[in-house]
Amino acid sequence: MKKILVADDEVSIRLLYSEELKEEGYEVYQAANGREALEVVDKIPLDLVILDIKMPEVDGIEALRQIKEKRPNLPVVLSTAYGEYKQDFATWASDEYLVKSSDLEDLKAVVKRYLKE
Amino acid sequence: MATDRTAFLTQMVEVLTSTVSFGERLNNMVHLLARNLKVDLALYFGLDKTRETLFLNVSSQGPVPPHMRLEFPLGQGLVGETARTRKVAVVHRRQPGVLEANALLETLHPAYQTLAAFPVADDNFLYGVLILVDREERSFPGAERQGVQLTCLMLATALRQAIVQEEAKKRIAELSVLFEVGKALVSTVELDELLERIVSTTAKVITARGAALQIMDAATGEPRVSSRYGQIPPECPALTQMKPSAGTEGSTYFEAEGVDAAGHPHYCLAVPLTFKGQLTGTLGVYDKFNPNGEFLPFDPENRLLLFTMAGVIVNAIENALTYQQVEDLAEKNERMVRNLTVLQEISQVMLTSVNEVRLQEIILQGLTMEHGLGFDRAVLLMVDEANQTLRGAQGACRSPVSGAIPNLKELQVPPPEMMAVEDWEIPLRADQGPLALAVLRKRPYHHHQTVKEPGLPAALEGKYAAQEFFVVPLEVKDRATAVILVDNQASGRPLEPERLDALQMFATQAALVLENAHLYSTIETNNRELLLIRERMLESDRLAALSSLASGMAHEIRNPLVSIGGFARRIAKLVEPNSPLRGYVEVIQEEVTRLEKLLREILDFTGENLSYYGDHDLAKLIMDTMILVQRDLDANKIKVVREFAQLPRIHCDDRQMKQVFYNLFQNAIQAMLHGGTLTIRTFPVEKPDGLYAAASISDTGSGIPMEVLHNIFNPFFSTKDYGTGLGLAIAQRIVSRHYGQIEVNNEIGKGVTFVVTLPVAKYCLVKDVGQGAVPASVLKAPKGGRQ
Repeated sequence: MKKILVADDEVSIRLLYSEELKEEGYEVYQAANGREALEVVDKIPLDLVILDIKMPEVDGIEALRQIKEKRPNLPVVLSTAYGEYKQDFATWASDEYLVKSSDLEDLKAVVKRYLKE
Repeated sequence: MATDRTAFLTQMVEVLTSTVSFGERLNNMVHLLARNLKVDLALYFGLDKTRETLFLNVSSQGPVPPHMRLEFPLGQGLVGETARTRKVAVVHRRQPGVLEANALLETLHPAYQTLAAFPVADDNFLYGVLILVDREERSFPGAERQGVQLTCLMLATALRQAIVQEEAKKRIAELSVLFEVGKALVSTVELDELLERIVSTTAKVITARGAALQIMDAATGEPRVSSRYGQIPPECPALTQMKPSAGTEGSTYFEAEGVDAAGHPHYCLAVPLTFKGQLTGTLGVYDKFNPNGEFLPFDPENRLLLFTMAGVIVNAIENALTYQQVEDLAEKNERMVRNLTVLQEISQVMLTSVNEVRLQEIILQGLTMEHGLGFDRAVLLMVDEANQTLRGAQGACRSPVSGAIPNLKELQVPPPEMMAVEDWEIPLRADQGPLALAVLRKRPYHHHQTVKEPGLPAALEGKYAAQEFFVVPLEVKDRATAVILVDNQASGRPLEPERLDALQMFATQAALVLENAHLYSTIETNNRELLLIRERMLESDRLAALSSLASGMAHEIRNPLVSIGGFARRIAKLVEPNSPLRGYVEVIQEEVTRLEKLLREILDFTGENLSYYGDHDLAKLIMDTMILVQRDLDANKIKVVREFAQLPRIHCDDRQMKQVFYNLFQNAIQAMLHGGTLTIRTFPVEKPDGLYAAASISDTGSGIPMEVLHNIFNPFFSTKDYGTGLGLAIAQRIVSRHYGQIEVNNEIGKGVTFVVTLPVAKYCLVKDVGQGAVPASVLKAPKGGRQ
């Protein structure tokens, strides 16, 4: 079973994403900020990380940088309310940049694309 | 005997001192002498003026008939010999040589035996000779001879007196003439009047029928008839022939006579007028006449008088000329002062404005106003340096003078009668007449029909006819910026050279104020531009603040929305298809979707200051955007027509610009839901401040209703039931941030065309305005953004 980490400071978002992804048949871990996310990355052999940008303690961009240092091949999807930074995601070394939406079909499609056997 | 002698002498004294005329006295005396001495004949021979010949004046026989007029040259015969020796001589017929020497006397007394000759002379002057003739041989002894000698002495005294008297009379007559002339001459200083008086007085004094005065013309050096009086016979030599040679002596004169067709003789006499050895003219008289109206030649006395008068006249003329020169000078000074005053007043008025057009008007008023420089017409032409041409700016005609003298300050009020000269265009080349030359050579021109200088350019001749005009360049810092053209064509008054001086002074002033105004307007324009830029900057700051606030709020809302919407979807999956809950959940889902869309648009609107500027090809931007809407175009069966021109790149944020075209395409598609044609064109647009690239997007929809047309660019305005109404507002905001324009051409029933005009890259005023304007609340974008 593929392991996905959802890092977001909003508990409702974490819950929504987890429920949906679990339904798709993934094993989902949660983190409330960048620091927690990095701890999970260290402990669990994850297959994909969904990272919010604006988070307390360590933010998404810093977490992304450190994750890419630790595991360059681990796909990281930025999921944020800040749609206007989409054009910069390449510079920030994330694999995908998604603007948060109540319709999770886009998110699920991206995850599926990265995690297909 | 002694008493006889006394009685004789007494009688003689009485005769000589009588008051009858001298001729009568002489006559009486000769008769008395003949009677008293009892001689047959007593004769008096007078010495003529030449002092060479003695003429018979008086005879005791009575009046001397003309054929009896005898004359003896000095030294000839007894008469001539006595006159020479001044000694008494008595000769007798029988003496040898006497008869031969005095043959003439034989005709008067053929039988004479004795001739006695007595000189009539005083101590230093001989007046004549007294001859006594008798048929007896007599010797005139002692007392008799003494008596005659005494008589001769008395006669000499009387003669001398008579001569002196005559001289005095003549002198008095001459003086009174001169007095008359002098009186006439000093009675006026007006040269013309004076000259007239001179000729009329001269003619009257000399009793001539006509007189003429010639004065040397200072300019040509030729004599010119200045004044004439009475009749000047055409038979007389032409006046100009009477030109005396320079350096003429005072005694030189010109005398001529001619005969007219009827055989009447005519005479003329002219003397030179010289002043300080300089020939200044001639004074001539014609046809002296006597009381019977007969013409007489002029005698030496006339000549003398004419010379004397010439001397007086020349002084009077010189005085009058000097006076006139002084008067001219004074008038010139007065004009100069007036000109300066006018210039000063106009300058002051000119200082009241910095508006170029108004200043041009004031300048033209100053040139044409009666109390200004007073030209009939004035035209101001400005130098267009870029095109190397002179262009007509404004022209004015003299307005009719009203009764009251207007104060120059009133220049502020009435505009002059203007002349349309805007279509005047003269290339700045040397062959284009004085207007172009005035600029090229920076010198004024006084054009006159007679002057061999190129006239008005052929293009202007029809519109502006002038035989004489001034052209003066307006110079600032060694550069001619304009040209003033003035004339007096309407009134025909000549243009005096000193008016050109005044005009030049005026031009210097005018050039300065025009240049000031020009500088002022340049500064004003620059100021306006700076203000505009500052305003844009401020606006962009405000927008940044606003967008920072808005985006912060939007982000805060987005997260809960995602949760609400996400869980609503999850609920929807769990709810039975027939359950009433299903409907509720769907409402939640739809509303969340709508809110999310609104959020996206608000963020798009406010987030635009995150810009990444670069030079982009307009056509490529449009084509890239087309891809995004291709599906919608196909779905609505909209045909696309493209006409792209070759254009320079534009300096823009391509992402924002794509947004503009995306919004415009969306609008067009919305207008053509049942098919149509979308026409996209790009083309260059020349504007005063540079080159622009333009794109037009036309649909074939129904057009925008007129009543809402003015609202279409307002944020949140929409004619559609859906959408935020931000599409066109966003497009306009973006375009204006790029210093461009967005315009709409609306045709009801035919469609709408939006035209976006953007400055091409090299004309962009401010580069990369958006750089660094990232809201402080969000993460800093890496410098440079993406390429």
